[in-house]
Amino acid sequence: MVKVTAPPHDAADADADPDAADRTASDQTAAELAELRRAVRGRIGVAAVLQALAAVLSITPAVVLVEIARRLLNDEGESVWPLAWLAAGLLLARFALYASASLLSHLADADLAYLLRRRMTEHVSALPLSWFAGGVSARVRSTVQDDVGSLHHAVAHARADLASAVAGPTVVIIYLLWVDWPLALVTAALVGMAQTIRSRLAVRATDQVNRIAAANSELTAAVLETVRGISVVKAFAADQSSRRFTAAAAEHADADEQAQRIFLRPRGVARATVAPATVVFVVTAVGTGLVAAGWTDPVDLVAFILLGVGLFEQLTPIYLAQDQRERAQDAAGRISGLLREPRQPEVDPARARTVGTPPTVELDDVHFAYPDGREVLHGVSATLRPGTVTALVGSSGAGKSTLAMLMARFADVTAGTIRLGGVDLRDIGRDELYRHIGFLLQDVVLLRRSIRDNIALAVPEASDEAVRAAARAAAVDDRVLALPRGYDSVVGEDAHLSGGEAQRIAIARTLLAGTPIVLLDEATAFADPDSEAAIQDALAELAAGRTLLVIAHRLYTVTAADQILVLDDGRIVERGRHDDLLAAGGRYAQLWRAQQSDREGRA
Amino acid sequence: MTSSANTAGTAGTAGTASVAGSLRGLIPAGQHRPLGWYLASVAGYAVSEGVAFGVLFPLLTALFDGDTTAAAWWLLPLTAAAVAGWFAHYYLGSRALRLSSAWRRDLYNRLGGKLVTLPLGWFDGARAGEVPQLVIGDVARVSSTVFLAQALIGAVATPATIAVFLLGFDWRIGLAALIAVPVVLVALSVSRRLTERSEAAENAATAEAGSRLVEFAGAQPTLRATGQTAAGRAALDDALADQHRASRRQIVRSLPGEYIGELGLQLALTALFLVGLALTTQDGLEPGRMIALVVLGISLLRPLDALVGLGGILQASAASARRIAELLAVEPLPEPADGKQIGHAGIELTDVHFSYPDGPEVLTGLNLTVPAGRTTALVGASGGGKTTVTKLIARFHDVDSGSVRVGGVDVRDVTGRELFGHIALVFQDVYLLDTTIEENIRFGNPGATEEQVRDAARRAQVDSIVARLPNGWASHVGEGGRLLSGGERQRVAIARALCKDAPIVLLDEATASLDTENEAAVHDAIAELATDRTVLVIAHRLDTIIRADQIAVLDGGRIVECGTHPELAAQDGRYAAFWRERERARGWRLTTRTPTGTAGDRG
Repeated sequence: MVKVTAPPHDAADADADPDAADRTASDQTAAELAELRRAVRGRIGVAAVLQALAAVLSITPAVVLVEIARRLLNDEGESVWPLAWLAAGLLLARFALYASASLLSHLADADLAYLLRRRMTEHVSALPLSWFAGGVSARVRSTVQDDVGSLHHAVAHARADLASAVAGPTVVIIYLLWVDWPLALVTAALVGMAQTIRSRLAVRATDQVNRIAAANSELTAAVLETVRGISVVKAFAADQSSRRFTAAAAEHADADEQAQRIFLRPRGVARATVAPATVVFVVTAVGTGLVAAGWTDPVDLVAFILLGVGLFEQLTPIYLAQDQRERAQDAAGRISGLLREPRQPEVDPARARTVGTPPTVELDDVHFAYPDGREVLHGVSATLRPGTVTALVGSSGAGKSTLAMLMARFADVTAGTIRLGGVDLRDIGRDELYRHIGFLLQDVVLLRRSIRDNIALAVPEASDEAVRAAARAAAVDDRVLALPRGYDSVVGEDAHLSGGEAQRIAIARTLLAGTPIVLLDEATAFADPDSEAAIQDALAELAAGRTLLVIAHRLYTVTAADQILVLDDGRIVERGRHDDLLAAGGRYAQLWRAQQSDREGRA
Repeated sequence: MTSSANTAGTAGTAGTASVAGSLRGLIPAGQHRPLGWYLASVAGYAVSEGVAFGVLFPLLTALFDGDTTAAAWWLLPLTAAAVAGWFAHYYLGSRALRLSSAWRRDLYNRLGGKLVTLPLGWFDGARAGEVPQLVIGDVARVSSTVFLAQALIGAVATPATIAVFLLGFDWRIGLAALIAVPVVLVALSVSRRLTERSEAAENAATAEAGSRLVEFAGAQPTLRATGQTAAGRAALDDALADQHRASRRQIVRSLPGEYIGELGLQLALTALFLVGLALTTQDGLEPGRMIALVVLGISLLRPLDALVGLGGILQASAASARRIAELLAVEPLPEPADGKQIGHAGIELTDVHFSYPDGPEVLTGLNLTVPAGRTTALVGASGGGKTTVTKLIARFHDVDSGSVRVGGVDVRDVTGRELFGHIALVFQDVYLLDTTIEENIRFGNPGATEEQVRDAARRAQVDSIVARLPNGWASHVGEGGRLLSGGERQRVAIARALCKDAPIVLLDEATASLDTENEAAVHDAIAELATDRTVLVIAHRLDTIIRADQIAVLDGGRIVECGTHPELAAQDGRYAAFWRERERARGWRLTTRTPTGTAGDRG
């Protein structure tokens, strides 16, 4: 077995040291975040500088008031009015700086979000169709919308907040040192003490995070189970409230309380150390002593009272956004992951060829393996001649759906070739390919557009007559006419269709598209028990005159097929017509007998 | 400060009152008094901080006058305030933790208890999806308002106390500091109204883009097959561009609101300087007093900055509180104080009318008798109300008029415990608990012996599922049972019902196209369940229908025909037509070649 894709990095190496793996992972997501942010890096940088300047200007009132006091109290006779006007001007400038920094970074965030969303949707539209199997809509929505939204803090705030948290206190400390260095050292000691406690708390917090996160996800699971399984809980265990919920809730409350309790005392000490009353008391007590000793001008105390009190809080933004930072990194990881998904190789326009005639489908020694290396088709060869019906049968897991998927080029073969009209599928442009091959698999998709547009999706220029003819052939015309706005009714808005009706619209669409080859899952015929007959009529209409590949579950529906391919474990073990295969007494005969005995046993 | 806040606008105060009210309504019983004490202590501490600033005035003026002895005396009350702060930080922190943990536990208990008493019908609504968010996010937000109160009361009571001092010392400077407050409050409410519209527009644009994304990702195979990838992306691109425009507009519109508080503070600071200087130069206010008063004024204004942000958090908490209160206020279906006993295993629905909230009438005078010990098949078009009938019997909802009797007793006159003691439910969307298969079966009857569990499993053909699973009986089934296929889930649910051994079984047969092996197993399991029990089955399979002792045809909200298969087939009414359709569908073959002219056929 050949490995198709190599893992992106050496997994064994990373496993050896879990810490290293952890570190690498977080370094990697940080790098990914920086990479995504690059498009607006310049604007973010400018915004950070502006906000840092604004933070520096915050000291204006204190500085100006001290200068005013100096002039007034020391009777220097200089006018103090210019200082007041200077203060007013600087405050206005500070306001302008703040506002423009915010405007700049938020607009950068909005622009980046738009850019990333477009980049992702463009990328998604180039992924192989196999990527979409199994329902990725919710994932795409949450990555493109929510994850990009989670970058908000990292883009619009993180840089600027950090810049101002550094620049503001630095300028304050320098100014205070200049005014009165002994008192400045006392003030810095208070703030430094509280800050030391806080940074040690931040380290200890990480121990608790895991327990709380685990408690959180267990509680979520318990709630979901209670809500979704409520009828079971009530019907079978009438008065016992969900035990799982009770236990999970208790654990969650305990985990939270314990984590908080650990921080209680140190946090209280840190807060009390820099509480305004403490700072004011220490500064004035020491200051009064210094003034009494004649070392300090009383005016200087004003600077310390005004600037010392707010100093600690200026550092806080660094700590506030920890969770938002982590969320942004996780989101960046998912966004980059989506953008890294390998695109389906595009057909080189120079090599692109048109489908030859007749449009015979040839499978030539087709192999297919999943990216993890598990091979599910081991050399399948067959020919689908124009206008014939080929049935694929075999137990589930034999590779029927995979084979149909390859013919519709949801994925590419890993070895061998599939040819359409003599041309390798990989050399046919996407639109050219799907003008020849249509498919009607189990999931019916209607777009939120009018019924008419849904039916005419492949042929937008089709006349109303042609659309109605297709709908009539698919036995859904009456139902559409009964809708409030008929063919102009919009799916999901004023056209609410049942599963069987939606199926028939999809059949009408395939009919109108008129592809000469149709891949069909027989189960579609039985998807809605309340309208089976109508769907079946429509399918019979579709089958007429086309090359048909049917994935068959109920063997009796395909007894008249021109060719039956019996798949077993990724290989064709038998092929031929129903009667011949039955007579051969092999795998097909075995499957047939098993189903027949069931049918007869019940009828 | 307080007085100007009250005059700022009735809207503001009414808003605050309802915020406090919605939170107060959720306080656990018996916690009002401790919480009151706690809040009073917080306010007391906040006032003491204000007093510390108030004391600064005489202290600073004494220093400016060169009287260090007088200044030293004023240090005494400052010492008291600082000591009070140290005590408060520790004591209030641990009080807050105890109160908020108790609140959280109480809310968990009340919500957990509430969830199991809600009418089952409630869980059909969209609100059920919000429950996890409610239990995790909203509970945490509400219980952490205890901590929020410290910051919030500090940001209000401390400036208010300083304001009292300031007005007492010199009312003119006091007014200068306070003049900005009403201006800011009015401007804030105006700007909030301005941004409401752009915020709503942004939310709408985001929702539209989200739904277009889901469509885009879900419809990729269809879009590519019809050559509509470009057109399919156009709708999405438009939606993303709209979203981008809306969020840029929202950023610009919300800027004034975000910075209006900031601007007000700048104005107040400027006013403070100018009035102070004017009073000194024109009015003979001593410079030392003026400086000390301006220090107080600046200290008053500083915490107000935080108030806007804290107010936003409080609003969010209040919204959380309202959501929780709404859930807690949902009335359970009334239970009789002394419930009657269910006599036998028959069911009668008499003249039942029922409609879902805000919906049309689903059942319009339905009469149905389900005889004890027999199997009744309910057939009819999908969406016709078949599931509603079973839900009314299990009392997910109460009828609008008419009556549902089980064992001769109206379901409203028996307790939930008594009712569910007699009924077992096997619904189509079977939800299994995330535990072992054995536990899932035993859930129906916690007292069952291992023998009984194994017996039920064998009769429902669960033993063959167990044989396939790696850990056998101990295998976990995954969240909701997703590790099993639909048919397998239904077999486990049937085993659960068998284990419970209730005399009445309400069964919704799976419509999903089961593979043939599962189809047979489910069928045999159902046959096993039907022995000796009253079974009401929403039947989709012809053999289930034909074997029923009685067939009831639901159409237009009533039972239009009722009888055995031969009787109804002979009547040539609705049932006979239904049967013919289904017979035709059953014999369906994807036949070859009956060429018919097909619209738009290009092949």
